[in-house]
Amino acid sequence: MCSNVRSAGFNRGELLKTEGFTVKSTMKNSVVVGPPAAGAFRERPYKPTSFRKFYERGDFPIALEHDTKGNRIAWKMEIEKLDYFHYLPLFFDGLCETVHPYEFFARQGVHDMLEHGGTKILPVIPQLIIPIKNALNTRNLQVICTTLKVLQHLVISGELVGEALVPYYRQILPILNIFKNKNCEYNTSQHLLHYNIIYILIMQTLKIQCFDNNVIKAAFYCSI
Amino acid sequence: MSCGTKPKSMSRAKQWTDEVENLYRFQQAGYRDEMEYRQIKQLEIDWWPETGFVKKLQRRDNTYYYYNRKRECEDKEVHKVKMYAY
Repeated sequence: MCSNVRSAGFNRGELLKTEGFTVKSTMKNSVVVGPPAAGAFRERPYKPTSFRKFYERGDFPIALEHDTKGNRIAWKMEIEKLDYFHYLPLFFDGLCETVHPYEFFARQGVHDMLEHGGTKILPVIPQLIIPIKNALNTRNLQVICTTLKVLQHLVISGELVGEALVPYYRQILPILNIFKNKNCEYNTSQHLLHYNIIYILIMQTLKIQCFDNNVIKAAFYCSI
Repeated sequence: MSCGTKPKSMSRAKQWTDEVENLYRFQQAGYRDEMEYRQIKQLEIDWWPETGFVKKLQRRDNTYYYYNRKRECEDKEVHKVKMYAY
C-alpha cells in the first residue's frame, strides 16, 4: 500500500493547497489558500452614455476651440437660457467618459453650467444622483477624481445644494468608503495638473458638504 | 472688422494685474480690448461682481465664451497679453 502511494506521486511531506470549506481542507497535510480577490478596486466597464449619443448627434450647443492653454468650450447658446432639466443630467452622464473629446466636453461643460447656473441647479439635483453614482461605480481613478471635483463644485454652486444632497448620501458614499484609503497620483495630459490623493479629495468633498467631522464618520460607518 | 478709434501703440504686459486679466479674456475671444468689443458688438459686458473680471463674451461668430470667477491668465501667459494705448 505504501508503494502504491509512492507510485502515485504523493509524498507525505508535501502540503496540499486547497480551498476552504471542502473535504480536502480537513486533511492533515492540506493548506487552505486565502479567498480569491473580491475585485473591489477592479474597474467596471461603463455602458455607452447618453452624453456620447447626443454629442454625436449634434444636440449639444457646444464647439471645441483650441487656444494657448489647451482646449476651451465655445457655447453656441447662452448658458443662462439652456434648459437645465434636459442638459445638466446629460452632461453629468458624460462624466463616465475617459476618451477625448467626450471627457473634456463633459467635464468642462459641467463646470461651466454649475458656474453660471445659479438657482436653476437646485431643482435638478435629484436627476443628477444616478449619473454621479454611475460615474463613481466605474472605479476608474480618473473618473472618480473628476466626479469628486464636480461634487465639490456642485455643493458650492448654489444655496441649499449641499442640504439637497443629504438624502442621497447612501447612494454616493459607499464607493467613497472603499476608496478612502487608496492613494494615487493622477495626471491630466491637457492641464498638466497633479490631482490630490483620493483620500484628501474625498475628505475635502465631504467637509465642504458636512462641515462636521462626526457627520463624516457617521456617514462612512452607516454606508451600505 | 473693427471700426472707430484705433490704438496708437501696443506694448506687452510685464506682470499680472486685474487689467491684464481682463485684456487676456478679451483677446482670448478675439478682440483687442473692451473698447473694440463695445464698438463691434455694442452689447453690455457681463462682469463677475466679486472680482470685476469679465464673465461672458460673445465672439465674432456669435458663440459665447464663459470665464471663471477667479484668475485664468497664468504667469506664463502674461507676456502674451497686448496692452493698447489710444
